[in-house]
Amino acid sequence: MKQKDEQKQGNLFVGIDLGTSRSSISAGNNTREWIESYVGWPKDFIAQQVVGKPVLFGSEALLNRLSLDLCRPLERGIIKAGIEKSDEAVKEIIKYLIGLAKPASDQKICAVVGVPADTLKVNKLAIRSAVSENVNALMVVSEPFAVAYGMNLLNNALVIDIGAGTTDFCIMHGTIPAEEDQKTILTAGDYIDEQLFSYLTEKYPSSKFNKNMVRQFKEQFSFVRDVPEDMQVVIPVNGKPVMHDIKNEIRRACESILPALVETTTEMIARFDPEFQVRIKNNIVLAGGGSLIRGIAEYLQDALKEYGTCKVTAVSDPLFAGSDGALMLAQDMPEKYWEQLN
Amino acid sequence: MMTIFSKNNEIKQKKEILRGLYEENLKILGKGGARIYKQRPFFFRKMFLSFCLAIAAVLLHGIFFNTAFFPEKELTASIISQNVPLMSVKAPAEDLLATSDYKAFINNQGVSLSRMFGLGVKTIMIDPGHGGADSGTIGKMGTMEKDVALDIARRLKERLTKTGHYHVLMTREGDVAVPLNKRVSMTQAARADLFISVHLNYLPAKPINIIETYYFGPTSDVKTEKLVEQENAGSEYGLSDFREMIEKIGDTLKLQESREFATAIQKNLFVNSRMHDGAVYDFGIKRAPFVVLLGVEVPAVLAEVSCLSNRQEEKELSTEGHRENIARYLEAGIMDYLNKGDLTHEAKR
Repeated sequence: MKQKDEQKQGNLFVGIDLGTSRSSISAGNNTREWIESYVGWPKDFIAQQVVGKPVLFGSEALLNRLSLDLCRPLERGIIKAGIEKSDEAVKEIIKYLIGLAKPASDQKICAVVGVPADTLKVNKLAIRSAVSENVNALMVVSEPFAVAYGMNLLNNALVIDIGAGTTDFCIMHGTIPAEEDQKTILTAGDYIDEQLFSYLTEKYPSSKFNKNMVRQFKEQFSFVRDVPEDMQVVIPVNGKPVMHDIKNEIRRACESILPALVETTTEMIARFDPEFQVRIKNNIVLAGGGSLIRGIAEYLQDALKEYGTCKVTAVSDPLFAGSDGALMLAQDMPEKYWEQLN
Repeated sequence: MMTIFSKNNEIKQKKEILRGLYEENLKILGKGGARIYKQRPFFFRKMFLSFCLAIAAVLLHGIFFNTAFFPEKELTASIISQNVPLMSVKAPAEDLLATSDYKAFINNQGVSLSRMFGLGVKTIMIDPGHGGADSGTIGKMGTMEKDVALDIARRLKERLTKTGHYHVLMTREGDVAVPLNKRVSMTQAARADLFISVHLNYLPAKPINIIETYYFGPTSDVKTEKLVEQENAGSEYGLSDFREMIEKIGDTLKLQESREFATAIQKNLFVNSRMHDGAVYDFGIKRAPFVVLLGVEVPAVLAEVSCLSNRQEEKELSTEGHRENIARYLEAGIMDYLNKGDLTHEAKR
């Protein structure tokens, strides 16, 4: 109700999930958009003539990567402020995402931006200064917290956000999570890509792969344990397209993140009072692109069984779960708070 | 009834969370004081007033009786320049090399030859390690030594230039490969009076953060030999050059000054870094045959200012504030060395 009043007053609330691999925006005007978190600037004058734009984003930037200085600003979960153009790339992504939300020219933008937990710990000021240029009022939160809020998991819950650069763990216990309630590990989607690349190169030494192809294979087939289907892809060998069976390599690569996932989950739960441990174990939610790996929720549930019963579920829409949660935070935030955050 | 109760509880929880989030973001903005307070009962206000009065009394006591209430302000070089040793710098056990009859005189650490002969410093050469295709060490999160070293060097240059006393140069201004012999010839051509090479360490076996500073000299330590091999790769020196270079080893003034310079850098880096990271290790000053240190004819050190194999340190290095701090500590070290005997210099924020 309050939110509707404020929309009338000329504010547009947006929730942004600034991810390592993909970034999404959910706006109060019902817009929902996403892009791959790549920003590319033409390498020189000729490249600019070829691509026809001063800056390219997402899949378009990837397609033209040979002509561009390509940057994935939150690689490994942090902004390298002042080096590698990371902060400039974040500014460009935010500007582009807000443009996709199509705000009216007189609308003020009130944004809640979810970032990987480590970015929030390490680069608080850098992320604020990179984002604030394009919004009128801003709050920065950790991604798993935004997911938890969006799903109303405010108490006795563990959110595990398996992203590209990092896997973030966040325990919710009725208050804003403190640093000790959150943990980040680097075994995430990019790690799976690296493993898959090395397994495929080992098995098919004369075939030509690149990291982008490997990522696409992962996104198309990822699974743990077993699935009945065959997994075959066409890869050029000496210029000729040849069919390759990659099922075993996909499974091995996806399963490579499981030991760290299980270990960190048990470690996070064990930090709590035994009474709360039982409640948290029955409220574990997987989010992020990694939650789309088939069988991963069941695997984690079985792995934790030896510590008692538990229930692991995955969010239904990992691409927008973070930005939807951030939007909900933006809309619920009292007006007096926004006034201070200009 | 239960539903209404749990609904109310949920609303209360949400309010608390939103308020916590707001206050956290205010802190990032530096507006921590703007938090929304509830009116506190008179008893608490009275307690708070008494507390404030007590604090004011203690502060006034400090002013009138010259109490150092904020010891952290006595940062860096000002502490170090005093005679009271704050920490022990691990120096190599061997005596300085000297061939003349003046060995005892030269090795007397109380006598600085540069000060005795009134030698001043006008030009400082900063050498950011690696560059171009040579990335140096790479942290687990992809941070490259060449980028961090360049950024710290740029910040150090800016700080030193601002003092208005020195002409400050760098062996590379961008991400380009510069062979070690070129770095040496640039230093000589610029007639630099002081040379500092900025590097970052990597310890694959131990996840600790260490600081160490090198000056030229022989080493018997296997780990140091390995590090020297890595850093000397791509020197582009020939064997014929090496004979001439080895002859310079007996340059006592340079050795003595380099050792003092290394001590000042190491102390300032370590003491100040320890304020932020209690777990940082002091590996002291060391001798090592880095060709870049041998080639230059003026006091020269190679500072391993941080350690990329330590994940927490790698994260910290991704922030501009931490890199600025390291540049500040290096500046304090240089000033400490240049103001030998002076007690006044303090690193500027």
